[in-house]
Amino acid sequence: MAASGGRTVGSFLWKCGNCCFNFNTVSSNLTRQVLSRQLCVSAVLHRKNLAAAGPEKFSEEFIKKQVEEFNIGKRHLANMMGEDPETFTQGDINRSIAYLFPSGLFDKKAKPLMKHPDEVFPKQRAVQWGADGRPFHFLFYTGKQSYYSLMHVSTGSLVGSRWLLKEELEELLVETISEHDYARFIQLMERLLSLPYCSVEEDFVQRYRRQLEIQSSKQQVQPLQYDQHGVAYSTGDGRRKTATGTVLLRDSGSGSISINGTNYVHYFPVLQDREQLMFPLHFMGVLGRFDMQCSVSGGGHSSQAGALRLAISRAMLSFLSEGQVETMRQAGLLTPDPRIKERKKPGQEGARRKFTWKKR
Amino acid sequence: MAASLTGLLKPWTPRVLLVRWSRYNPYYLEPEPRKEVYHIPETELTPEQKEERELKSVRPIKAATNSVTSSVFNDPVLSKFVNMMMKDGDKIIAKGIITQTLENMKRKQVEKYHKAPEGKKAEIECNPYAIFHQALENCKPVIGLASIQKGGKFYQVPIPLTDNRRRFLAMKWMITECRDNKHRRTLMYEKLSQELLAAFSKEGNVVKRKHELHKMAESNRAYAHYRWW
Repeated sequence: MAASGGRTVGSFLWKCGNCCFNFNTVSSNLTRQVLSRQLCVSAVLHRKNLAAAGPEKFSEEFIKKQVEEFNIGKRHLANMMGEDPETFTQGDINRSIAYLFPSGLFDKKAKPLMKHPDEVFPKQRAVQWGADGRPFHFLFYTGKQSYYSLMHVSTGSLVGSRWLLKEELEELLVETISEHDYARFIQLMERLLSLPYCSVEEDFVQRYRRQLEIQSSKQQVQPLQYDQHGVAYSTGDGRRKTATGTVLLRDSGSGSISINGTNYVHYFPVLQDREQLMFPLHFMGVLGRFDMQCSVSGGGHSSQAGALRLAISRAMLSFLSEGQVETMRQAGLLTPDPRIKERKKPGQEGARRKFTWKKR
Repeated sequence: MAASLTGLLKPWTPRVLLVRWSRYNPYYLEPEPRKEVYHIPETELTPEQKEERELKSVRPIKAATNSVTSSVFNDPVLSKFVNMMMKDGDKIIAKGIITQTLENMKRKQVEKYHKAPEGKKAEIECNPYAIFHQALENCKPVIGLASIQKGGKFYQVPIPLTDNRRRFLAMKWMITECRDNKHRRTLMYEKLSQELLAAFSKEGNVVKRKHELHKMAESNRAYAHYRWW
């Protein structure tokens, strides 16, 4: 309609242009374009976006009822036309309606129509806020929450991957790159990820990322061993500062611990050390299950307790499942503690303490 | 490729030795020793927690320290207090004092409980850990002072304090108060339990010191704009 209107106006202007002087053709062309554009625009403005107009006019139950009625009606129509209800398509429906209700009207929208309710009723949004009046979406107050959240769709999880290293990139490109070039490359890729719509280029970005390996897969779990009575046992050893400890963990079930031949209560009179021995057992909930024979040497009482804790955790790995190994690792039980005594430096009294400062 | 990544997992000395550095590469994450965190089912995690879990599964984790366990009696605030009270690395004595303090507080409160009339019994708090935490909360200052030089003179300017700093100040005041202002014959745990019970009911010297700091900050309000951060 608008196009034909534009064309008629345009043809009228063209005739005017032909009648008038030649140098007016340029301006008349422009005016024709401007006028035709304005007409097109004004027609678009009249067509409203019904879906975004306001809160829902049709409730969910209403739409559901309409869908049921449509499906039943479709089957009735198929029966009426003598066709198979299962394979009755929308085209068949249109033809049947045109046959049963012939209409002399010109406007297509005024003719009788039988379509699926999803096509008839406009798509609408459910209520955007909860009972307390607080909106669900964090971008609600922009007015166009779906649009802005689309603009800022981020790429899928980047947590488990890293950028290519310089050597890997050189391998990929079969060229030598300087460190500056590599730094610039990383900078540009990070910039790309910070822009909106970056998920469009997800494939491109993923080509330059490598998956990081799951850390718990690096744990070496010894297989379980069985002694002559059929009782499962395993060994583990651990070190902390200068203390080394070994543990023999037996699955008999009384919870007795002997260290270097003596009971653990006598060997570790301090509560904190005994708590450290119990930490892996208490964490996994197997306090009374294992019998332990430990031997430890070197270091002081705290480092011996730490060494034994690591040894017990490592010995327990054979009795546990994958998920439990991962939780133990995340609790910090399987990492050997790298802290050692800091060395004394020349010109100072100790590692940190300086000599007394004398003014003269 | 493999070489440069395994380089991150070894005990580490930084190239430039800063004052505060640790033997762990900064790539390592802090451990989580509490049991209940790992028993939350997948469905009840927020997206941030899920992302954190994913990150933890690919990163190495530091070892748990000596004073940390998964036991219910392990309290990070109390451990910090024990460390602050420790002299020359003697944690056994410091821990002993704290245990005696808690026991003493419990005895006093239970005595009070039995002597109180029926109506007042429910108000008396007997849990020494709860008393300790509440007393520390009552001692924490809300605002602090910093000495800022402007135009040749030093002014005491009121500044906001971080949570760590507030907790540190509360503990420090408590310990110095108990060490200095006591009779020669009273033992540390006795004096500490008295101070903690007083702070719990918002009396005592430590709370007074906190109020004095607040008053100073209020009186120096005019210089607040000297702060530039």
